[in-house]
Amino acid sequence: MNSPTPQFVSSRRMSVYDPIHQISMWGEGFKSNGNLSASVPLIDEPDMKLDSQSEDASHGILGEPNKYDQEANKPTDKIQRRLAQNREAARKSRLRKKAYVQQLESSRLKLMQLEQELERARQQGMYIGGGLDSNHLGFAGSVNSGITTFETEYGHWVNEQNRQITELRSALNAHIGDMELRILVDGMMSHYAEIFRMKSAAAKADVFYVMSGMWKTTAERFFLWIGGFRPSELLKVLGPLIEPLTEQQRLDIYTLGQSCQQAEDALSQGMDKLRQLLADSVAAGQFMEGTYIPQMTSAMENLEALVSFVNQADHLRQGTLQQMSRILTIRQAARCLLALGEYFQRLRALSSLWSNRPREPA
Amino acid sequence: MHQKNQIPDPPPATADGGGGDGNGAELDNVVKMVSENPVMVIGTRGCCMCHVVQKLLQGLGVNPPVYEVDEVDEAAVAAELSRKVVGGGGDDGGRVQFPAVFVGGKLFGGLERLMATHISGELVPILKDAGALWL
Repeated sequence: MNSPTPQFVSSRRMSVYDPIHQISMWGEGFKSNGNLSASVPLIDEPDMKLDSQSEDASHGILGEPNKYDQEANKPTDKIQRRLAQNREAARKSRLRKKAYVQQLESSRLKLMQLEQELERARQQGMYIGGGLDSNHLGFAGSVNSGITTFETEYGHWVNEQNRQITELRSALNAHIGDMELRILVDGMMSHYAEIFRMKSAAAKADVFYVMSGMWKTTAERFFLWIGGFRPSELLKVLGPLIEPLTEQQRLDIYTLGQSCQQAEDALSQGMDKLRQLLADSVAAGQFMEGTYIPQMTSAMENLEALVSFVNQADHLRQGTLQQMSRILTIRQAARCLLALGEYFQRLRALSSLWSNRPREPA
Repeated sequence: MHQKNQIPDPPPATADGGGGDGNGAELDNVVKMVSENPVMVIGTRGCCMCHVVQKLLQGLGVNPPVYEVDEVDEAAVAAELSRKVVGGGGDDGGRVQFPAVFVGGKLFGGLERLMATHISGELVPILKDAGALWL
């Protein structure tokens, strides 16, 4: 029998082999009712034809019954023949079943191997896509160690983030003192500094990865602006949650929001210019020539600028967080960071819910 | 999109860096422009970051002259500026990197410093002190 391996690899979602397909492969003429445990074969036409060919070879002793014998031995003869055919069919069926089971076994092994590989790859940080988030297998085609490092570290970062959020929540509920609260706040701020460092390294490895927010969940990506969150948007979300504020604080936060907006606008305009330059680079020259190396060279240079944009956007994000911590008291800052952390947790939860939602059959 | 020009009227918003040999006269011109303008931006031609710097300052009501340097002249211009205009607390160390913002004739820094000081609220007072902004 042909090896089933090609079928597994080509299966789009790396899902399990199709059992119905397997059964039809196994038994020609065997009715695909899935009844594999039947040891008594069903004798139907094709089997009859096959068996009749082997009959003479294995049961040559029967020979050609003459007319008289046929008359006298007719019942026995027929029964004998029928029994022989049954035995033969049974034998063949057992052989086929054995072959099928062997096939199943090797498929099972293959499946286990694939699952192990997948697990290993996940641990090493290749983004195979949790759940039904499906568009990343293509990316993993040429493994980029800078990105796999980032993904591994990001997994740890999120775990630590969740831990810190829980800790901060308990601390605030327990009304701990300002000194201890400061330690937690500083810890969280350093943790954010850490993700920006990681992103910077990842941007050098693959800026498109960072620009597209590939490591984020789907709902987070919806809000993406130059590889991360938009500070002014976040301020609008968090503002109401950190009341009560003094008038001065409210003014300072408003001013901060304005400054963020201005900086964001400038960066966005820079991005527009970059897109225009890139489009011009790619389109330059005669299309009919069929070669485009010079265009690619200048386009590549344009793309290098993307790394700067990601870095500047991240500096803006970090600067905004730092300025907030300057404006707020330690307790307000703690509540602010808690709200921020929970906000992203909810976005991640939303993404999960969304990808696992029950769907209408296609 | 262009903001109201401040007084005295600055040269056109973009000044051409000129041809490929970075001769002494052009370099002197650059240095002169830096000292004569409350705010000045110098960047590489076609650099998008320079565009960001310009747009940010324009958004604040400052319309600084922007001097564009050809890539080939970059090193020469940077060196000249480092020599003649060094100091002013620029975070880029001794070496001028483009895009570079000059405030009050001194090197202020690049885009990063510009944004950081804007977020922290320090930028606008500095610009006002230099006479680049009126209330």
